[in-house]
Amino acid sequence: MHEIGVRETVQFAGFTFNWETLCMTMTWLTMAVVILIAFLATRSLKLVPSGWQMVVELIVNWLHGQIDAMMGKSGRFLAPFIVSLFMFLLVSNWLGLIPTLSSPTNDLNTTLALALIVIVMVHFLGLYKKGMHYIAHFFQPTPVFVVINVIEEIAKPITLSCRLFGNILAGEILIIVLLKLMPIWMPIPAVCWLAFSIFIGGVQAVIFTMLSMAYLANAVKEEEQS
Amino acid sequence: MIDLNATFFAQILNFLILVAILRALAEAEELKKNYQAQLAEAREKAQAIVDKAEKVAASNREASIQDTKREIEQMKKAAQAEIQRDHERAADQLKKEIVALSLLAAGKVVEKNLGASENEALVGDFIDKLDKDKIGDLSC
Repeated sequence: MHEIGVRETVQFAGFTFNWETLCMTMTWLTMAVVILIAFLATRSLKLVPSGWQMVVELIVNWLHGQIDAMMGKSGRFLAPFIVSLFMFLLVSNWLGLIPTLSSPTNDLNTTLALALIVIVMVHFLGLYKKGMHYIAHFFQPTPVFVVINVIEEIAKPITLSCRLFGNILAGEILIIVLLKLMPIWMPIPAVCWLAFSIFIGGVQAVIFTMLSMAYLANAVKEEEQS
Repeated sequence: MIDLNATFFAQILNFLILVAILRALAEAEELKKNYQAQLAEAREKAQAIVDKAEKVAASNREASIQDTKREIEQMKKAAQAEIQRDHERAADQLKKEIVALSLLAAGKVVEKNLGASENEALVGDFIDKLDKDKIGDLSC
């Protein structure tokens, strides 16, 4: 079992990497799992889905419904990104619940990276779709509001990343603590917490994805109205 | 517990790679689906062509059967007509022969011209001969 809060680091080309999060182990494992699921789901498509195809089709259809509801048809091109984000988060949140493994999302580096990708996409798409009109909306309703608007924009990635990071890290810490506190013949609290962590992992993946969609919808959808 | 370092950039890269891979997978699937749809369409078309050909062949066969039947009918009619002709010819010939024979018999009767009893015998004999050789519905 890994020690909480202490990260094994590795130096490469003058940069410091968190070895365990980074992937080489956990993130890459998550990616491998996601790709494997996607591959299994699409390997032999049938009209009446079964097995992995059904699971993935359920997720993808649900996300497509959300995208359509939030962004309209113009948001459809973001579907691969949204689906990838959700699958990655779901798998990585649950990966940490397997003993000896840890979630890539229990590292702020990962969650902040994902949040920043989303926020950069929001601003880029906003500028691309609306041009100067997008910049102007920071000064509404009065130019004084630019301060509040900028704070809001800065707060978005921070809240997005810290929420996910805190939830997942807390879940893993508590599992380890409970296992150490309780004698082995009384596993009920740990099992309960494990079940709760599975739930939390799913919920956090949903929240992160839905908030990302909401932010992206702001950039994409308003263009439709104007 | 919280130490931001180069892992951050690595994670950005990792996630973008994942999106790219999943996108490629989805596109490949789309391509495959299109390809399969095209294949199905082609198969349908081929089936339609085969069906049409079969229909044409069936109608051709029907037509040829009708032709053959008509030909047989014609041949039958021709054969019957020929038989009728032969029959008539044979009857004519027989008539001719009977006339000749009658003349011959008459000649003989006149030539001999002996007694009335002998005449009667001769004529009776001839008539007997006629009865014996009488053929079908020949009228004599």
